[in-house]
Amino acid sequence: MIASLRAESLKTRKRWANWILFGILLLTLLLLGYVLTYVLLSHPPRNFRSPVPARVLKRSVFPENLLPNMLALTSTIGAAIMIILGGLSTASEYGWLTVQTILIQKPTRGAVLLGKLAMLVIVTFLISVVTLAATALTSYVLVTIDGSSSSWPSALTLLKGFGALWLEFAVWTAFGMFLGIAFRSTAAAIGGGLTYLFVGEALIAQLLRNTEGVKEILRFLPGINASAINASFRLTFQNPNATTQLVDATRGTITLLAYLVMFALLALLIFQRRDVAGG
Amino acid sequence: MAQALAVETHGLTKRYSTTVLAVNDLNLLVRTGEVYGFLGPNGAGKTTTLRLLSGLLHPTAGSATVAGAAPGSPASLARLGAMVETPAFYPYLSGRDNLRVMARYSSVSTSRIEPVLKQVDLTDRAHHKFRTYSTGMKQRLGVAAALLKDPDLLILDEPTSGLDPQGTVEMRALIRDIRREGRTVLLSSHLLNEVELTCDRVGVITKGKLVAEGTVDELRARSGGRALLIRATPLDQAQRLLESLLKTEQVLVADGALVLSVDPSQAASLNRQLVSNGVDVSELRVSEQSLEDVFLQLTENPPGTVTPPAAQS
Repeated sequence: MIASLRAESLKTRKRWANWILFGILLLTLLLLGYVLTYVLLSHPPRNFRSPVPARVLKRSVFPENLLPNMLALTSTIGAAIMIILGGLSTASEYGWLTVQTILIQKPTRGAVLLGKLAMLVIVTFLISVVTLAATALTSYVLVTIDGSSSSWPSALTLLKGFGALWLEFAVWTAFGMFLGIAFRSTAAAIGGGLTYLFVGEALIAQLLRNTEGVKEILRFLPGINASAINASFRLTFQNPNATTQLVDATRGTITLLAYLVMFALLALLIFQRRDVAGG
Repeated sequence: MAQALAVETHGLTKRYSTTVLAVNDLNLLVRTGEVYGFLGPNGAGKTTTLRLLSGLLHPTAGSATVAGAAPGSPASLARLGAMVETPAFYPYLSGRDNLRVMARYSSVSTSRIEPVLKQVDLTDRAHHKFRTYSTGMKQRLGVAAALLKDPDLLILDEPTSGLDPQGTVEMRALIRDIRREGRTVLLSSHLLNEVELTCDRVGVITKGKLVAEGTVDELRARSGGRALLIRATPLDQAQRLLESLLKTEQVLVADGALVLSVDPSQAASLNRQLVSNGVDVSELRVSEQSLEDVFLQLTENPPGTVTPPAAQS
C-alpha cells in the first residue's frame, strides 16, 4: 500500500485538474462567501428586506462566525468539488486505461485502491487545513477593514469544526471515488454525483423533509447528516429554534463515518472482483 | 531434458455472456527463452488471452501458470512485464514521470528508469508530456514500462500496431535485443510478416481456439507446405485434364496459373501427361506456401478448400 501511496502522491501533485478544482473551491468560498457578502451587506440595496438587519447579517463573515459560515458554504460547492475530485481520481484510470498498466505492475488490487484512499484522505486533510486557514485569514482581514471587534471560536470548537469539514470532504470524495469505479466513466461519475447532490439532496430531500414516512428515509442521507453537523455550529445572531434538523450532530457524525467506510468497502469490492478490459 | 515453460494454460476459457465465447479451451505452452508469436485475425481472442495471462481478467474455466505462478498473483507479476492492447499512461505526465509512477507501483528502484529509456531510445523525449508522443513513442514507452521490473517474461500485444515502416523495423530490432538478453517474449500480432521475422514458434488462434502451433516451417509443412505452379495453354483444357488425374480440390486457378496441391515429385509425370494431350507448358515450378497462405487456410477457409499459395519469385 505504501508503494501505491507513493505513486498516487506523484500523480496527484502533478495533475493540474486537482489544483484547478482546489483553486475554484477557494475562489468561490472567499469571493462569494466572504468578500461579496461583506460588500453587499455593508452597502445593502434600498429594497433589502430581512428579519435580521444587514449590519448584523454582515457579522456572518467575521471570525466569531468562522465555522458556521465556512461549513454552510462548503456543504454545497465543497461537496460538489470533492465529488468531482474523487470521481476523477478513479474514473480517469479507466478512461485512459491506466488501470490496466497499474495492475500489470506488481501491486494487488487491494493495495492500489487502499493507496488511492489513503492519498485522498491526505488530500482532503490538506484541503481542509488550507480552506480553514484561508477563510480565517479573509475573515480577519474583513473585520479589520470594517473596524469592528470580533472574537475567535475556542480552540476546541475550531478543532471540532475542522473535524466536521474534513469528514464531510472525505465522505463526498469517497462517494465520487466509488461512483468512478462503479461507472468506469468520468462523465457518468461526476454527472451522477452532482445530480444526486443537487437534485436528490438539495431539492427533493429539502422539499420532502417534513413528509412523514419519507422523513425516516431522509435521516439516513449523507447530505442531511452533514447539515445536522453543520447546524451544531450556530451563527451568533441565529435563533436557536429557527431551524430544526432531522438528526442530531452525534448521529450525523456516526452516519457520515459509516458512509465513509461503506463507500470505501463497496469500491474495494467492485474493484477487486471486476474484470479489467479495454474501453 | 524438457525445456522449462514460461506460460502454460490448460483449458483456459473466457466467456463474456452466453453468446460470446472469447477464449475457448486454450492449451498454450510457451517455452522459456523463446519468442512465441500469438497469431490470429482481429477479434480472434488474442488480447483476451493476454489479459487473462496478466491477471486483468478472471477466467471462466481452466487454469494458467505464468512465470511459475497464477496469473495476476504478485509472484507472477514480479517476473512479468506486459503491454496489453495499447500503451496506456497518464497524458499529463512526462514519459519519465510515467515510468516513475510505474516504478513506485512495482517497488522498483528509480535507477532502472534511465537504462530502460535508453534501451527503447526515448531518453531525449522523456521529459515531454505523454500526450505529445507519436504512436511509435507511445509504443516504446509501453515497452520501457514492461521492462522496468527486469522481467523474465515479456507480453507484448501488437507491438508494431500503428507504427510507420521505420518504427516497425526499430520495434522488431528491440524485440530481438530483448530476446538476446535471455527473456521470453510472448508476442501477439495479426501481422504475419512480423511473426515470421521475429518468432521462434507460432500459435494460431481463431474464434478463441488454438488451431495450430509450431515453428513457421512446421506450420507450412502441416498445411501442405509446397505446391506445383503450372502455366499452360490452353488453360481450361489443362485444368480439366489435371482434375481428371488428381482430386478436383487439388487443382486451383490463381492469377492465370494452375496451382496443384500435390507432392512436387509428381512434376515430371504431370508435365508428360499435359504435353502428350496437346497442352503447351510454359512454366512449371515448385511454389512455397507463405505464412499468409497457411494463416488464411487455418483461420478463414472452411474444411476441404485449399488456399492458392503465392508464387515464389
